Amino acid sequence: MAQAAPLPPGATTVGSRRRSSSRAADSSFRWGTLVIAFGLIALLGLLLWVLLAGGWESITKFGFSFVTGRDWNPVTQAFGALPFIFGTIVTSVIAIVLAVPVSVGLALLLNEVESGWLRNPMAVFVDLLAAIPSVIYGLWALFILVPIFDKYVEPFLAHTIGHVPVIGALFQIPGGGKVVTGGNLFVAGVVLAIMVIPIVTAVTREVIAIVPHDLREAAKGLGATRYETIRMAVLPYARSGIVGATMLGLGRALGETIAVALVVGNGLGIGASLFRAGYTIPAVIANEFREATLGVHRAALLELALILVVISLIMAALSRLLVGRTAALVGSGPASAIEAGEAAGIVYGANVGLGPEEDSP
Amino acid sequence: MKRSGRFGAAIAVSAALTLAAAACSNDNGSSSGGSSGSFKGAALTGAGSTFAQPFYAAWAQEFLKVEPDAKVNYQPIGSGGGVQAIANKTVNFGATDVPLQPADMSTMTGGDTVEFPTALGGVAVLYNLSGAPNGVKLDGATVADIFLGKVKTWNDPEIASQNQGTSLPSTAITVVHRADESGTTAVFTQWMSDASPEWKSSVGSDKAVQWPVGQGANGSSGVAAAVKQTDGAIGYASQDYAVTSGLSSAAIKNPGGQYVSPTIQAISAAGAGLQFPISADTNILNSSNPAAYPIASTTYVVAYVTQTNQSQGQTLVDFWHWGLTKGQAELNALNYAPLPTAVAQGSLSEIAKITFNGQAITPTSGT
Amino acid sequence: MIAVERSVPPRTLSTRRRVKDRAFTVGLWVAGVLALIPLFAIVGYTLVRGLSALNVAFFTQTPTVPGLPGGGIKQSFIGTAIIVGMAILFAVPLGILTAIYLSEYGNTRLAGAVRFVAEILLSTPSIVAGAFIWALVVVRMGSFSAVAGAIALTVLMWPIIARATEEVLRLVSTELREGALALGVPRWKMILRIVVPTAGAGIFTAVMLAVARGLGETAPILLTALGNDFVNTNPLQPTDAVPLRIYNYAQSAIISLNSLAWGGALILLLVVLSLSITARVLSDRQQRRTR
Repeated sequence: MAQAAPLPPGATTVGSRRRSSSRAADSSFRWGTLVIAFGLIALLGLLLWVLLAGGWESITKFGFSFVTGRDWNPVTQAFGALPFIFGTIVTSVIAIVLAVPVSVGLALLLNEVESGWLRNPMAVFVDLLAAIPSVIYGLWALFILVPIFDKYVEPFLAHTIGHVPVIGALFQIPGGGKVVTGGNLFVAGVVLAIMVIPIVTAVTREVIAIVPHDLREAAKGLGATRYETIRMAVLPYARSGIVGATMLGLGRALGETIAVALVVGNGLGIGASLFRAGYTIPAVIANEFREATLGVHRAALLELALILVVISLIMAALSRLLVGRTAALVGSGPASAIEAGEAAGIVYGANVGLGPEEDSP
Repeated sequence: MKRSGRFGAAIAVSAALTLAAAACSNDNGSSSGGSSGSFKGAALTGAGSTFAQPFYAAWAQEFLKVEPDAKVNYQPIGSGGGVQAIANKTVNFGATDVPLQPADMSTMTGGDTVEFPTALGGVAVLYNLSGAPNGVKLDGATVADIFLGKVKTWNDPEIASQNQGTSLPSTAITVVHRADESGTTAVFTQWMSDASPEWKSSVGSDKAVQWPVGQGANGSSGVAAAVKQTDGAIGYASQDYAVTSGLSSAAIKNPGGQYVSPTIQAISAAGAGLQFPISADTNILNSSNPAAYPIASTTYVVAYVTQTNQSQGQTLVDFWHWGLTKGQAELNALNYAPLPTAVAQGSLSEIAKITFNGQAITPTSGT
Repeated sequence: MIAVERSVPPRTLSTRRRVKDRAFTVGLWVAGVLALIPLFAIVGYTLVRGLSALNVAFFTQTPTVPGLPGGGIKQSFIGTAIIVGMAILFAVPLGILTAIYLSEYGNTRLAGAVRFVAEILLSTPSIVAGAFIWALVVVRMGSFSAVAGAIALTVLMWPIIARATEEVLRLVSTELREGALALGVPRWKMILRIVVPTAGAGIFTAVMLAVARGLGETAPILLTALGNDFVNTNPLQPTDAVPLRIYNYAQSAIISLNSLAWGGALILLLVVLSLSITARVLSDRQQRRTR
């Protein structure tokens, strides 16, 4: 595809004898766009600074015990974030465990299997899933999913997997009750899984797409079945990219607020069972931020926001590097692969004028 | 290049925020004052107590008939939020179910405040239990044990012994509490602290506490919604939420040994104990009146003495003057009780302290 | 995309390998179906529950006293239009100018850094954007407001528009640029008069995707715009928004309010999905044309 190679700054071609005013206009336009573009970096800096400054009181008061403390007690002004960190990790891990196999399967189905007329509509539908606002996921989950899970899914899991040694503990109904009631970590994790599937799928598809044809052809030439081709020729090369896709999904799951706040139960407990009410970092910020009257409480919430944004940004950065590694591995330009993956995964999986076969500058 | 890059960044960011910054100095009032009598009111914003939201919202609708431009936007974000919002001057008035605490006072950035009660209400212990009637009897210690997680099922002997003749199912109890900072929570936990030494020592009372068990919901309506969705659930909210949500509320044992439901009469009976001046620990819990509902509460409005916008200040005074006089008659239909006459008078004299430009604002006639 | 021929296994293929292959393919289809069930469930339930909530009052009235039936969420629609409209006003110029820098002057290390930051900013949790703007704008202005909500949305939309627009600007052919420069058109004019208009449809697509995101965001609005039971058109006052109203009414025990939440969700879903579908159609067309 045609790719505009940006000319060197200030480059002049044939009609180079321009009046200096036009050169000044060029230069100021260039600086203007640079200033705005750099504003994005400044925005990130300002964001981190505001959260750091706002959370400073809590950072200095609680130190590292902030992340290990189990008390979140506005009465005694003791703030430890472990219940929220626990809940955030648990729900995100559930989401990833459920979403990654489905997403990778779906990506392989769309890219490697000739699925006929269904292929395009399916790809569109998955992208649409990403466009649904999180409050609608939350509304649906609260009124439809939670009652179904209460009545059927969770009791079923408790009576089957719940009896398996070791992992069974995860699926037992807390308090020895017969039925599960209301929002809990498990149902929140399921909702998150649904929400990250389109993102993980889109990035995985891009990663799979840059694995060279020759590899597949070679495998097929040796008489490999489709399964063997994918296992031997596609997945080994795509692996780090798929891990990158997972990271991106994980980053998204960690930061999701509204849908989770509606169904996670907002309870402070920490325990083995996934069927108990939990709490996540974004949910507690959403619930308590507007009313945190006293300095330390608000500082603690801002520190939580800082922790959350730093982890999310690290996940996004890692994801970008890992997707880049796949590209490097298969020898195509790393930059294009990263862009392909990121643009696809992030802008709701809809490729904005960008195909996977894009050449690098 | 690097240097001007950094300089440029500052410009870029401030460009994004210029509008906001420029906006700071602007006048917030939307409607001009006008002479008294034809005063049409101005838009006001209030936030806080979800306990009081049903009647504040109703008053706001009614008051439009008095002053057609007085859009009193009340957002129920919890009493804690109400206090924080007025402290930061992000609203015209804050609403809270617990009086301002000394620590709150120090956060006020707009000078002296007035604080006055507006109505009486009952914190209902509401529940959803198929196969059980309305008005299950509970005493304070039992409610505390439920919220401590010690009483786990509805047929626990501690509950059954108070409800002889009623057969209660073995459904597990799901505790629902507030996830936001709430005056209702403060009132409710204060009452449980009074009833249960264990609650007092292990949890205590405040607008938000560290709940031993249960799930959190947002606002009174969130509590009612969560209770309604779950068989066996128990929660607490103003009685109006129980009525509008079709939930049962428990009859609570008062100091006189009577089990009383949160009816308007029972709430009014508790209100006799309310007196000015309002101090940090003013409450009307556990009235000695044998007909009184024990978890009765009032709800307060907090506003600044010195108003900085004439038409908003006028509307503020008019709205609360109207609420404390004509508005009181509307409370019964909303499951709240009017203030005792003496208390309403006390509230009105608090409002009279509100000034603009050093002059006291007198209520517009007709309010 | 890649056209993969159906693999034709040689006749000597052992049964075990064939079964494995079949099972694998079935597994992929199961994954596909599992991924799509939620989409249909969400759209279906929202349609059914939402339709029954829609009537004239829904669009023309403000809320009644809680508990009384009827009323609408007119103020939420107006508020969302104001907040998102302002966010577009802020984010589109910022995003497009950033994109111009990245695509036209973007071979420097600084540009690499900007691109990297834009990409990771796309993962900013939306609640964090809300808390950030609360501290930066709401407290300083002394009021929750539509403009604070718009700025919070700008934090989320700016990087989306920047990255997506950069990609479409890069698709504009080198010949076109060089031709213009050869005719003596100054570079900045070349960019604004030729590159940007040529990529117009693509930029429009990028903006639509960002708007779709902004329309549905609840968490940033929750901490910045607060909400309002009345119609408010003053950008400096608390303002309602459709997703915020859905969030609040979802947490109500009053059935008529739940129903209003579903109605709001239906309208929001229809708007957001049609924006996304249109964006996709446009971008497909654009891709076909530029290739």
